Amino acid sequence: MMQPRLVQNFRGGRAFIVVNEATAIEPLVVTLGKLGVQIAGVHSDPREIDPASLQADQHFVFLDGDLQCPIAWPLSSIAQLPPAPLVGLVGVEAPSRLRALVQAGATAFLRKPVHGATVYSALYIAVNQYRQRRELEQCIDEHDRRRRGRRHVIKAVLSLVQARGIDDETAYDILRRDSMRERQSLEQYCEAFLQETSSQTGPPARRRRLNAD
Amino acid sequence: MSPQRNPLTGFFSVRGNMASNYTIGLLFSSTGPYSVVAHAMLNGALLAVDEINADKSDVVLDTVFVNPNGELGRYSPLCAELLGQGIKHVVGCYTSSSRKEVIPLFEKQDALLWYPSHYEGFESSNNVVYTGAAPNQHILPLLTYLLARYGNRAYCVGSNYIWAWENNRILRETVLERGGTVLAERYFPVGETDFTQVIEAIFEAKPSFVFTTLIGTSAYQFFRDIRAAAKARGIDQPRVMPLASCSLSEPELEEIGPEAVDGHISSSVYFSTIQSRENAAFLAAYAARFPDGSAMSADAEASYIAVRLLASALAAAGTDDVAAVKEAVCRQRLRAPQGEVWIDQQTLHAYLTPRIGRSNCNARFDLVQQASEPAKPDPYLVWSTPRYEVAMQKQKLRVVR
Repeated sequence: MMQPRLVQNFRGGRAFIVVNEATAIEPLVVTLGKLGVQIAGVHSDPREIDPASLQADQHFVFLDGDLQCPIAWPLSSIAQLPPAPLVGLVGVEAPSRLRALVQAGATAFLRKPVHGATVYSALYIAVNQYRQRRELEQCIDEHDRRRRGRRHVIKAVLSLVQARGIDDETAYDILRRDSMRERQSLEQYCEAFLQETSSQTGPPARRRRLNAD
Repeated sequence: MSPQRNPLTGFFSVRGNMASNYTIGLLFSSTGPYSVVAHAMLNGALLAVDEINADKSDVVLDTVFVNPNGELGRYSPLCAELLGQGIKHVVGCYTSSSRKEVIPLFEKQDALLWYPSHYEGFESSNNVVYTGAAPNQHILPLLTYLLARYGNRAYCVGSNYIWAWENNRILRETVLERGGTVLAERYFPVGETDFTQVIEAIFEAKPSFVFTTLIGTSAYQFFRDIRAAAKARGIDQPRVMPLASCSLSEPELEEIGPEAVDGHISSSVYFSTIQSRENAAFLAAYAARFPDGSAMSADAEASYIAVRLLASALAAAGTDDVAAVKEAVCRQRLRAPQGEVWIDQQTLHAYLTPRIGRSNCNARFDLVQQASEPAKPDPYLVWSTPRYEVAMQKQKLRVVR
């Protein structure tokens, strides 16, 4: 798996800040300005932000762990990621508050009152952790999809063995080579191959190639 | 109104009727491994103090000087001593490690450090005014010059601390982005003087240039040794593989000595050879004040600028209250020896004019390039670098010790 490239310059990013008391975050606002990040909004309730409007590569969210209202943004199915990188603002350091931030998908934390010298580090870790987890999530998703498709591969191999009187290694090599020619994954190609075989009306080109082999 | 003698500088000052006295701290390692530069910085600060006190201005500065002797562990106690006396403004520090050591004290007591040295950036404390060059004002112009002029195969040798690590990181990303190669990064403890092996490795690698972030005695020995080794091999080192630095200054050229002083590339916002009326007056005043002192340098000028800006801000604010002085300093403009200088309100870093110099046999720099105007400081390289880290070929870097 390719590691996503690290983001180290946040110029052009837009930050939403959701806090109980705006006074606690003045150094955060000042430092974000130095980093070239615009403040998209300061809110006291996360429900004021439409999660569908958040873009993972442009927005950051700073979320106060001391809010009274629950955070109910949709999270991704595997890595439990929020719509955009999220930094938790920690006031009360109790497990219940920290758990709420973890469950909201925070990938970095800042202690309240926020100290300017810690903002770049928190943003760097939050954004790059988010990107790494998203990459892993996509990787797991792809593996799952392929795992589900392996039954098509087994069936296609058996079908070729029976139809052509060849061994399973040769049948697999033929299917793999043809899937590469068609620029499809082996699983996708085998699924399509089985559909064509069962209907006997597949595209002539694919049948001809298999016959030629 | 009677002349009063500054106990540290020995100068007499004449106070105006409405003049206010302020005591400032000076924190420089005028002895120790990087004393050559730090002593020049102290001199620059003292010169500015003398000029201000002789100026019949609204402000009279008294100074308390402390010398940590280049020992990192002594910075914090000495600084606490200064702040414990009620001093709110301290001019000082050369290395980044020493600055980072004392910043928590300034933030805790809400005092202001006036940091007068070039550094690697990625910092912007609200309790520091930075009058030295930020990375977009020194290393980026240097790399543009080196890559265009000498080629794209870099070899890095540095003292093992943040100045070298971060500058080499910026170099590596810039060089790789432009299709070049970083042949090696080698680090040595501050004060190390045995470079036999790395010099052998450099000649074997045949780089286009050697980027050095060595400081103090380590740097001087390295310059001498590599030149001697090149001569023994019949290699015209300044032409074939020049040594480039973002910190090499005139007093250090004098320390290197006549055998190896010429042909080095330095990126700086100030060289003593700048042709201007302000610089001529500055050099004359410095020579008169310190006839046996070291040569003028960028760090000495940055210290001079720091004290001049501090005094202007104190006068404008009418108090040494930190918030008022910070607000006031951003409204000041100084016709400094290097040209016009002012402080960026957002980052508290200085607008400075990048320049490239090439050292000559007189231990001075010939200017080979100069920006047309002061450059806005960009300590986080927000406006100077791409969003993503440049992909690195990991197998080409290895830990050797």
